[in-house]
Amino acid sequence: MGEVILTMKGIDKSFPGVHALDHVDLEIRKGEVHALMGENGAGKSTLMKVLTGIYKKDSGTITYEGKEVEFHNTREAQDAGVVIVHQELNMLGHLTVAQNIFIGREFKKGIRIDDKKMNEEAKKLFDRMHIDIDPTETMCNLTVGKQQMCEIAKAISHKAKVIIFDEPSAALTEAEIEELFKIIRDLRAQDLGIVYISHRMDEIKVITDRVTVMRDGTYVGTLITKDSTKDDIINMMVGRVIYEDPKTKNMTPPGAPVVLKVDHLNAGKMVQDVSFELHKGEVLGFSGLMGAGRTETMRALFGADPIDSGDIYVNGQKVTIKSPQDAVKHGIGYLSEDRKRFGIVVQKTVAENTTMADLDEFANGPFINKKKENEVAQKYVESLATKTPGVDQLVVNLSGGNQQKVVIAKWLTRNCDILIFDEPTRGIDVGAKNEIYKLMNQLAAEGKAIIMVSSEMTEILRMSDRIVVMCEGKKTGELDISEATQENIMNMATREIE
Amino acid sequence: MESIKQNPLVKKVGFNRIVLCIVLLLMYGLFCALTGGAFFGLRRILSALNYAYFLGFLSLAVTFVIATGGIDFSIGPVMFCCALIAGFCFTIYGVPMPAAIVISLVVGLVFGIFNGYLVAYWDVPSFITSIASMNIAKGVASVFTKTQSVSWPQSSQEGGWFRNLVTFEDVPVGLIILLVVAVICAIILNQTKMGRYILSLGSNKEAVRLSGVNVKKWEMSAYVLCGLLVGISAIFFVGAYTTVQPGYGDTYNNEAIAGCVMGGTSMAGGLASISGTIIGVFIISLLQEGIMALGLDKNLQLIITGLIVIVAVFADVVARRRKN
Repeated sequence: MGEVILTMKGIDKSFPGVHALDHVDLEIRKGEVHALMGENGAGKSTLMKVLTGIYKKDSGTITYEGKEVEFHNTREAQDAGVVIVHQELNMLGHLTVAQNIFIGREFKKGIRIDDKKMNEEAKKLFDRMHIDIDPTETMCNLTVGKQQMCEIAKAISHKAKVIIFDEPSAALTEAEIEELFKIIRDLRAQDLGIVYISHRMDEIKVITDRVTVMRDGTYVGTLITKDSTKDDIINMMVGRVIYEDPKTKNMTPPGAPVVLKVDHLNAGKMVQDVSFELHKGEVLGFSGLMGAGRTETMRALFGADPIDSGDIYVNGQKVTIKSPQDAVKHGIGYLSEDRKRFGIVVQKTVAENTTMADLDEFANGPFINKKKENEVAQKYVESLATKTPGVDQLVVNLSGGNQQKVVIAKWLTRNCDILIFDEPTRGIDVGAKNEIYKLMNQLAAEGKAIIMVSSEMTEILRMSDRIVVMCEGKKTGELDISEATQENIMNMATREIE
Repeated sequence: MESIKQNPLVKKVGFNRIVLCIVLLLMYGLFCALTGGAFFGLRRILSALNYAYFLGFLSLAVTFVIATGGIDFSIGPVMFCCALIAGFCFTIYGVPMPAAIVISLVVGLVFGIFNGYLVAYWDVPSFITSIASMNIAKGVASVFTKTQSVSWPQSSQEGGWFRNLVTFEDVPVGLIILLVVAVICAIILNQTKMGRYILSLGSNKEAVRLSGVNVKKWEMSAYVLCGLLVGISAIFFVGAYTTVQPGYGDTYNNEAIAGCVMGGTSMAGGLASISGTIIGVFIISLLQEGIMALGLDKNLQLIITGLIVIVAVFADVVARRRKN
């Protein structure tokens, strides 16, 4: 660790009704990886947005390279060398890798864009990062992991001195994460200051030098990573101890009936001949790498995408599912991996989102019974411990974990018997994660059948009664929890069926 | 400024609508001053209201479509098409007046169903659909009337009683009908499933679809309701201005959309205000009357409403940006 490059002191920021940051401090040194941790809504993202000029701070000071600064937009921050690599990738799929990296500051030859020079420069960047990506490749042909590398290359090309990674590993496979860490270590060796936001405790221990913890918009403290334990950090984050015990045996009651049977399902390239059964009261984990076709299988089964062939049986009855409407009618609910796009209507209130899937229950003829709607929404806000000022709050103002709870409330209101959780804890921190796990177990105990798609091995092993593994659109294995290990799941996830 | 916005009463009525009302009053004062008091009085107000009736229905109509995140550029010509076909049936084919009124509503409905079906079920962008049906409406009306203009009966003539819907012995009946319909529209938008789904799908269609809602049906319903309201607007247009000519009506698109976006309905969808739309329509109507009273070029109104649309949409864009 070198000298201090960036100091944020007493940063204060309020939004109407929310005190988002309450005198928060953060100090970044050259050549360190500094983890920024905290529960959902703790204010990590807000703090980074204040730093990079997206939000204007109410008070406090930012000192960068010895001078007090205030960036008014990301462009100014970039030019000064403070760059953020977002969790959601901001790439233009139809341009090449090089065109994406140099977008907005293209090399020119006269009035023409000099693609050749851009390709050469991009190549140099990749060489410096020791990764092999063809700069002339079209962006949408790359895997999510490779796209992330391009995003990092773009950050470096800004002559960055401080790089902020906002949950970079959320969408990556284990191998890609390894590669990411290699790059981050390289950058650290080049004396850059790195802020690393993540919810994965294991990663924090592996990659970071110091940890700053935030809670409810306040600064809790900063630890040296190697001198502290996982429990220390979690305690600071949530103020209580959390136990992560994996399931050791199948908890489904013996002889539980099959509520959902999927038989030789085909839908496009990503779903090929997938068959499985789901029992009442069971949590069926779907494991696999990114792009294994798990989400596609769920979307096809839910009627969100068209099915080419295959049969679906609900409670033994063969059913036709051509649209989400059909699926919901048969008691299937789907919690998408991408809440913002597919899960919630952000400009509507908590109550309105809660009743979205079951509005008929809240209507007298064409009219909505708002009193009943608010009561039910309030009930779920309480039982799920959703943090919101009220049920009339717009969902856009809630944090990710609380938005997820609103989506869960939506399907609970509908009283679906089959619930598909697609990456239920993506972008959600340890405390809220634990609540969602508990909730899923509780739902299974009440007799709901749950499918859980997850890319996190620990989550699969912790929650599932049985595990289906997919690879490249095909089912490559099925395991009972008692026989499942990281190794044999990984084996199946990377194996082609003969 | 911020403290005014946070005042509970202001919040309830809506800051935007209060500003619009003030603008409306200031405009009236300005026109009175500029005309040396000649603008003052009931006559001008009644005349301005004549314009507000048909434009009000048009603007309410397009409010529902815009709330879904769509747009309808066919409303003006479709209104003319309704008035032409229904009027032609009355004058040439001798269809009784009540039937003529029904024909007008049906023609509006047919266009609404056509637009809605294409947009919701075939995924044709509403921009394209409505421009196409604008031309279809003009063409159909021309063919049907053999490119003649159509005059609806005067109040003394047979069937002229329909004008009582607009004014009856100097009582602005049309205003009452417009406000009643506006209240119904507000109830539909804010209290019913239809309104809830229209606004929700305007905000995030995919999320609503994945909630198991028949989004196609509800998206189409906005266009159908729009068509019906356009059919009503045709009656109030001829009630005030008697004669319609085939091949026109586009200018009213702009004015109806201006009234709607000025009132706080977002072109991005998901956000709509019926009361705002009505006040917006009053502003446009007063503007039209004022320009006439001042003896200014009528084309000035085209320029001003064009600018209003741009300013109102820009204000919405800025408001959204600030929120994010």
